[in-house]
Amino acid sequence: MAAAPIWVHGELAPDGSLAKISTEVATLARGLGESAGRDVIGVVIGSDPAAAATELARFVPRVLAVSEPATADHAAGTIVGERLGALIERDTPDYLFAGAGPEGRDVAGVVSGLTGRGVLVNAVAVRWEDGPVVEMSVFGGKLTTTSRFTGEQGIVTVRPNVVTAEPAAKTGSVEATSVDGELSLPLVKVVDRVEAADAAAPIEEARVIVAGGRGLGGPDGFKLIEELAEALGGAVGATRAAVDAGWIPYAQQIGQTGKIVKPALYLALGISGAIQHKVGMQTADTIVAVNRDPDAPIAEFADLVVIGDLFEVGPAILAALRARAG
Amino acid sequence: MTYRLTEDQAALRDAVRVLADERIAPRAAEIDRTAEFPWDIKELLASHDILGLPYAEAYGGLGGDLLTVCLAIEQISRACATSGLILAVQELGSLPLILAGTDEQKQRWFPDLAAGKLLIAFALTEAEAGSDVAAARTRARRDGDDWILDGSKRFISQGSVADLIAVFAVTDDGEGTPRHKRLSCFIVEKDMAGFAVERIEHKMGIRGSPTAELSFRGVRVPDANRVGGEGEGFPIAMRTLDRSRPGIAAQAVGIAQGALEVATAYARERKQFGRPISDFQMIAGMLADMDSQTEAARQLLYKACVEIDAGARDAGRWSAMCKLVAGDTAMRVTTDAVQVLGGYGYIDEFPVERMMRDAKITQLYEGTQQIQRLVIARALTARP
Amino acid sequence: MRIVVLVKPVPDTASSGERLRPDDWRLDRAAVPAVVNANDEYALEAALKLTTAHGGDVVLLSMAPPAAPETMRKALAMGAASGTLVTDPALAGSDTVTTTRVLAAALRGMEYDLVLAGADTSDGGAGVVPAGVAALLRLPYLSYAAKIEPLKETETVRVHRISPTGYDVLEAPMPALVVCTQALGEPRYPSLKGIMAARSKELTTSALADIEGAEAAEPTTAVLGAEAPPPRAATRVVREPAEEAAKQVVAFLVERRIV
Repeated sequence: MAAAPIWVHGELAPDGSLAKISTEVATLARGLGESAGRDVIGVVIGSDPAAAATELARFVPRVLAVSEPATADHAAGTIVGERLGALIERDTPDYLFAGAGPEGRDVAGVVSGLTGRGVLVNAVAVRWEDGPVVEMSVFGGKLTTTSRFTGEQGIVTVRPNVVTAEPAAKTGSVEATSVDGELSLPLVKVVDRVEAADAAAPIEEARVIVAGGRGLGGPDGFKLIEELAEALGGAVGATRAAVDAGWIPYAQQIGQTGKIVKPALYLALGISGAIQHKVGMQTADTIVAVNRDPDAPIAEFADLVVIGDLFEVGPAILAALRARAG
Repeated sequence: MTYRLTEDQAALRDAVRVLADERIAPRAAEIDRTAEFPWDIKELLASHDILGLPYAEAYGGLGGDLLTVCLAIEQISRACATSGLILAVQELGSLPLILAGTDEQKQRWFPDLAAGKLLIAFALTEAEAGSDVAAARTRARRDGDDWILDGSKRFISQGSVADLIAVFAVTDDGEGTPRHKRLSCFIVEKDMAGFAVERIEHKMGIRGSPTAELSFRGVRVPDANRVGGEGEGFPIAMRTLDRSRPGIAAQAVGIAQGALEVATAYARERKQFGRPISDFQMIAGMLADMDSQTEAARQLLYKACVEIDAGARDAGRWSAMCKLVAGDTAMRVTTDAVQVLGGYGYIDEFPVERMMRDAKITQLYEGTQQIQRLVIARALTARP
Repeated sequence: MRIVVLVKPVPDTASSGERLRPDDWRLDRAAVPAVVNANDEYALEAALKLTTAHGGDVVLLSMAPPAAPETMRKALAMGAASGTLVTDPALAGSDTVTTTRVLAAALRGMEYDLVLAGADTSDGGAGVVPAGVAALLRLPYLSYAAKIEPLKETETVRVHRISPTGYDVLEAPMPALVVCTQALGEPRYPSLKGIMAARSKELTTSALADIEGAEAAEPTTAVLGAEAPPPRAATRVVREPAEEAAKQVVAFLVERRIV
């Protein structure tokens, strides 16, 4: 009897396209499927899943596209979770992989609640040894734990930027399928969708983050940060001090009560690196800091620190990057 | 005395410590630099009920015992001596009323004082009457149902920001009147005509705490504002100081502890000759002495508070001792802290130079160290 | 209105002693002082603001080891009226599935208009428990709230859910479960009066047997090992003037294949 498949949940971005994180999770799952000799199947559930399903099919051999009109104007997490749970009961895959962002977390929570399958969250690495073996970074990065499921089923949520998305050699197939029956979990109506003028792409997914703190002195200081982010193809992040001061929205806050990120590069300007912020970014691959204070905590754990005035060093870095590109 | 704090005392101490570390410490350098009274810190203390500690629950206070009040002063002073003084002075100014006020007076003022809506100061010292309290010259002359106050007071902590001032004035300067029966105590309200703030001193330390010279020119004070009986001012003042000196000792212990923590953290990080300087014996020795002395001062303070609250007959001795030891400790520990930091200790990039400047006052006010020694020696050598 | 806030004690991130016990890789809770999970404090603060505005009270619910009462005291000192701690030796080392089921069972025996939870916990980063609890209890689930507004006339709750492009306005009938974010506002420091009042507030301890339908199950996950991440290499310190420093930074980024 063939071992049961591995499923990948494909998340939808607000515009209906496939979320970037799902391309990474799919790549990871595909690799695990190859090691394990198991089929890998993607599942996309939404009011108009076709485009996202087609995109996901570039990464896995087979995708189930489920049309669920209710997600058009209701909170999706519960609906998707319920349908996915029902599909899992029907088709009995062993493992489900999802993204560890807000959408994936909601879905994983609902599926776990309904099916009783265990969850390993925020994976920073997954390998296959007779089942997924999952590395998680806990206590703000102070410890890395390795865990597995005690049985043969489970749900794994995967952090952004853990794997680089890589399409498969061959594009897979998409098949429409449906789940019958009324939704039983209560629906939450979406009364309005508001676009904030300063909303930015989710920073957890960014490969490069340029972040600013109190040292920027005010919202204008973030112009420099934005320009550097643009030059490096990255996102803008901030410390709590900058958010509390109203210089930048909370969605971009990194730290204990903001986002935990693991980009390839974290470039910090005017950030002291106090523990509450550190736990949000210390597992980044490369940390570069610019700070006036040689005794700032960040100078201890950064890979490279420039002791200097960020308003001089920052523009100099920007100029050097542009010179390289130009 | 049990040798451990009660759960309540520990919980209150920890809560004040968190507030001090997160909200007061970041302001300390600025308060010292601008020498401005920190109204925001006063609001913070008020809104977290900390200024309510000295008052009975019946008046909206927390009914805090002396030890609890001192725990709070200590934790705040660790971060900022000026801020710690806000609570200490609130208690000092209220003590005449706590000890000798009528119920009506307490009802009238304590709820607002406990809520931090009103501040109160203690005006005993004059230009010519520092250690020699009884030599005061401010007089209060009876006029019908009122008293008329004339004179001036010097070096009054927070005298310029207080809403109420407990003023000690001569009410009986008759030739036969013994020195300790000449004074009476009155509560002057800042809006009373004839009361003025003449000047604010520029000081070495606790620079954010305004030290004022106050003048009274024909200030009409109703008899209902007299605290205690006529001629009882001196004993009221002495009993007040017996209970308030531990507050200054607490400030001193807090300053010392703050300096010790900065010096220790510095010594662990600072590397010379390839090693943290805390590895070197001379530095380690200094830190050990600083820690031991601070702890000794702290334990004497806590014990004194418990004894005083229990109504010990030798309360005066306990009060003087804890203030004497704590003040000298604060001066020694902060001076050593500067020493540990070397050149960095002398510049304002680190807080120890401020802490050293702040520490000195604890050897001077609420009775100089010399007065404390007199009190202790008298208690020791008094004929049975 | 009555609001239940789910709170979890976690090791204090600011201290440095977190560890897992080497014999069974369970969290060594004795090693480090526990504090209320930071994100739960935001949920609690949101709850307190709501009951101040609309009347009612806030109660705590936690599943934790028996030593937890101390951390719950702080939450009580902030203004919660009472708390229930579900604790049982059988629950030691529980996974998220058991936690979800036990909390749901405990909530079945309670009455409330809202259940609030914090997003994510710092000790295992689960963040999946609230969604599971809502599913088991068939409660409307509203997550990543930046704003919560109960509407009395319609007995519904309106929530601003943070989205990648801004926020969505969600509406659902109460009772409902809402996951809170920091955007809701800074948690208050407990006042001294609050601390003293907390001593006399009711903190009920319940064992599994006291809660109908609650049971511990074999964990679905197991920790195989834990280690500190490899230390970073020594920091390269650059003190040169801006232009030269910038050159070194870019060279470093090239070396690391970032540009």
